[in-house]
Amino acid sequence: MEHPVLIYIPAVDELEIKVQEVTRYLGYGGNPAEGEDLKLIERKIAEVKKIMAPKACYARYRIDNDEEKCVLTFPYGETKSKVLSKHLSGCDEVFIFAATIGAVFDRMLQRARFLSMSETAVMQAVGAAAVETVCDSVNEMLEQKVTEESKYLRARFSPGYGDFELANQRGIFSVLNPAKHAGITLMDTMIMAPEKSVTAVIGISDRPGKNGYG
Amino acid sequence: MTTDEKNNIKSVMVMKKIREGFTYFEGGCGTILQAAGLKPGELPETWNITHGDVIEKMHSDYIKAGANILKTNTFGGNILKFPADDPKMPLDVIIASAVNHARNAIEKTEKDPAVGKDHYVALDIGPLGHLLKPLGDMEFERAYEIFKATVDAGIKAGVDLILVETMTDIYEAKAAVLAAKESGLPVVLTTAYDESHKLLTGADPCTVVAVAEGLGVDCIGVNCSLGPDQMMEIVDELVKYASVPVAVNPNAGLPRTENGRTVFDVTPEDFAGSMVKIASKGARVLGGCCGTTPDHIAAMINAVKEMTPVPLTEKNDTFITSYTRSVRFGGKPVLIGERINPTGKKRFKQALREHDIDHILQVGMDEQDNHADVLDVNVGLPEIDEVAMMCEVVSALQAITDLPLQIDTTDPVAMEKALRLYNGKPMINSVNGKEEVMEQVFPLAAKYGGLVVALTIDEEGIPKTAEGRLEIAKKIYAKAAEYGIRKKNIIIDPLAMSISAEPDSALVTLEALKRIHDELGGLTSLGVSNISFGLPCREIVNSIFFTQAMNNGLSAAIMNPASTEMMKAYYAFCALNMQDENCMSFIGFAEEYKAAEDEKAAKLAAGGGAVSGGKKAQVKKSSLYESIEDERKLPLVDCIVKGMKDRAGALTEELLNEGMDSLEIIDGALIPALDIVGRGFEKKTMFLPQLLMSAESASAAFAVIRGTLKKSGDEGQIKGRIILATVKGDIHDIGKNIVKVLLENYGYEVLDLGKDVPPELIVETAVAEDIKLVGLSALMTTTVPSMEETIKQLQEKKSDTLVMVGGAVMTQEYADMIGADHYSKDAMGSVRYAEKVFEVS
Repeated sequence: MEHPVLIYIPAVDELEIKVQEVTRYLGYGGNPAEGEDLKLIERKIAEVKKIMAPKACYARYRIDNDEEKCVLTFPYGETKSKVLSKHLSGCDEVFIFAATIGAVFDRMLQRARFLSMSETAVMQAVGAAAVETVCDSVNEMLEQKVTEESKYLRARFSPGYGDFELANQRGIFSVLNPAKHAGITLMDTMIMAPEKSVTAVIGISDRPGKNGYG
Repeated sequence: MTTDEKNNIKSVMVMKKIREGFTYFEGGCGTILQAAGLKPGELPETWNITHGDVIEKMHSDYIKAGANILKTNTFGGNILKFPADDPKMPLDVIIASAVNHARNAIEKTEKDPAVGKDHYVALDIGPLGHLLKPLGDMEFERAYEIFKATVDAGIKAGVDLILVETMTDIYEAKAAVLAAKESGLPVVLTTAYDESHKLLTGADPCTVVAVAEGLGVDCIGVNCSLGPDQMMEIVDELVKYASVPVAVNPNAGLPRTENGRTVFDVTPEDFAGSMVKIASKGARVLGGCCGTTPDHIAAMINAVKEMTPVPLTEKNDTFITSYTRSVRFGGKPVLIGERINPTGKKRFKQALREHDIDHILQVGMDEQDNHADVLDVNVGLPEIDEVAMMCEVVSALQAITDLPLQIDTTDPVAMEKALRLYNGKPMINSVNGKEEVMEQVFPLAAKYGGLVVALTIDEEGIPKTAEGRLEIAKKIYAKAAEYGIRKKNIIIDPLAMSISAEPDSALVTLEALKRIHDELGGLTSLGVSNISFGLPCREIVNSIFFTQAMNNGLSAAIMNPASTEMMKAYYAFCALNMQDENCMSFIGFAEEYKAAEDEKAAKLAAGGGAVSGGKKAQVKKSSLYESIEDERKLPLVDCIVKGMKDRAGALTEELLNEGMDSLEIIDGALIPALDIVGRGFEKKTMFLPQLLMSAESASAAFAVIRGTLKKSGDEGQIKGRIILATVKGDIHDIGKNIVKVLLENYGYEVLDLGKDVPPELIVETAVAEDIKLVGLSALMTTTVPSMEETIKQLQEKKSDTLVMVGGAVMTQEYADMIGADHYSKDAMGSVRYAEKVFEVS
């Protein structure tokens, strides 16, 4: 049984970074941005779109889910997680993916500090929103794939959510090799570089399920 | 003949073969091993031990297909994955067995006379899977050491050459090539470009070639990531810029799944067709990467072997580079910013003494904004550790600017360390005609690469005539050639001396420039402003001399890009000399120039300060501002609350000009305005960007006031001194920087220790500076332990210091658990706590 790691590169033009996503990361709590801060957010969205280089890699794996013991068996080994075990209930396969907006953003962020902290903070939030759009695009593409097989996806779930330990990053990096396929590396602290990168597990099921968490 | 001698000869033979005609690499390895049962997450290199037969057969199949250079199965073979003390699979054993499989395959296959004897073993080195600092967590020297261990194991096992492949970061490639070159074996470097034809960290093919040739690679190329058809333009670029042979190892297109199996979409026939095109473009080392098989290689060789390779040619263009882009010399004059230099600059000297790296970086950023092409970096002061400072400034600068740097030092140790650490191909400032200096600098330039600035001065001093300066230039070229440094990597500075001391000095320099350009075909550079030393209104003389020099063929000027007169001369010259397409650069400059002039005129018209042209903007008296009783202060308050930082400074100046006391402005406008926003933020009616934009507007106002206070000798009160640091292991410092901006605005002095700060440094500083409050930030749960450690050490060594903590994962519970005195949920929380600690009402 092969587990090919495939590469996916969404077109930047098709990714929409929404102002309200950015304000969510900036703690607006549903309040709209207006005036000077809205102008700033819009300017930074344009700047980030110009330099972002979205890239993702993914692979499909069989898993074992012992829901009684809350133990999941991934290709890299076993992990205990109550929340994920429940979330992946009825899934005997998953996609694991890693996605990024690339390393140029990190440089831009480093530089922004010398211009202003307000710009830096907004750019940081725009970057976070940007990598989410890449994940959404990966999600959509995978959804199409499984729809052809009359299967359904569960919402994506990243190491660090709930009790799905961050240490799973090691395993994910060992099977997926995102450094090679998408230029994403894992540091000793389990933080990824480039900074705006995401890894996640997506359950594949024969039955439709709720698309939320928990 | 010993084995060593035999290997040495093989390493000479392989380069001879490459220079004489086509040479063929093996194709893919990973896909073959996967098909043979390699599991996900299993390290392919372990198969050297567990499935030696599979590896040997793969090599044999490639030899039979016609490949000359075998790539050992050691792509990920490094001490990170195979520690030297691993009882089962230490690195040495992995690499020795990989080399043995290749050697065995050669020996057995060569028994068949039809196969020939032309086979070589390349030690295959792939990337480490870590990004280097500042993007990632790996130190450059650490990367070098890891590669060195692999290279050493390869030499011990007797490889013929080294292939550094699939590099996506030029900095990591530099670490690997430095280690590989020290083996004395030929080094081939191939990098993986993305769809935009750039490396992951941004370098284009021209930049990669400049850096790689500077480091002395013997063959440069591209591999992996793309199929052959997507590589055509990259190959064009490589062949255009490279003087060394070009290697191309494409994938068989992109992988996809078909009935649960991986397939690549380029068939052997299509592959061969594309490789014929690639060969006709000038590549002469051909092979494959992921998805290619012995069938692909056989088809390729069959199609290419009757072709005549494009002859190799020396390329004469000169480039220097940053980590991402190149600057070309010999066309449009290159502007080298001279401001990162303590000579004659009080503030800069102070920054060096006080270790104020931010000031130095700001100087560089300003030069970039003023359109410098290259930044000269000189941080020498007798009372500081120049080596350490040079390393720190070069690392910090290359983290934030994409301009190439000119390493400017007379200290050979500082020079070597900076050249090593530099991410790209720099300028080296400088060498001169003195034997001793040439013997010091040229070996460094030969090892690390660089464009060397050569001053026409020698043991006899500076020749009075142009002829004398030309003679020194020739001597320098000849000496450089002995080290293998080509003329294109030397840039002659015929020295501009003050005309107030030597009346004919400008004329002599101009003549020397012209003759170096015309007779020697050399590049030239000048520190232009020296010409006017001792004269009044120096800019007038400088800019005219600059124009004359450019007219005499000057390739680069070390100058102040903030000088309007110099920039006028530069842009006009380029436009007049067909070095500015459609005059676009001149038009851009003219717009900036006009805007600056208009601003000046407006200020004058308003009597020296106002932005509103005498007419006061009306501010609606909203309930937000009800605490502001003095109407005169309203525009400034409004401007700070709305975060319009450009206007805040001007409005402050206006109030000062009207005679308002600076303390009254601070207490009656700035502080109340900050409080309005601070309270709004706490009540969640205002948000982070507004908070920060207001803080920045207030900073602009404070800066104006500070200027006045300085004149009067009263620099204002500091409310307290606070250490801020992002803890060890954590390289994300935005939260900390936000807190810093706010605390400074509220009148605190912040000792910013930066990011990834070891506990010891924080404790040492707290003790030495007798600090009452320390703020620590951590982004991830994985770095909270270093926060805990810092608090523990602080409690032991300086128990009266209070600690506030914050960061994305921090909670009150966490803070209590690790013994912090306070948890700040946001930036305003830190300000409020500081007010409590320093008992500010």
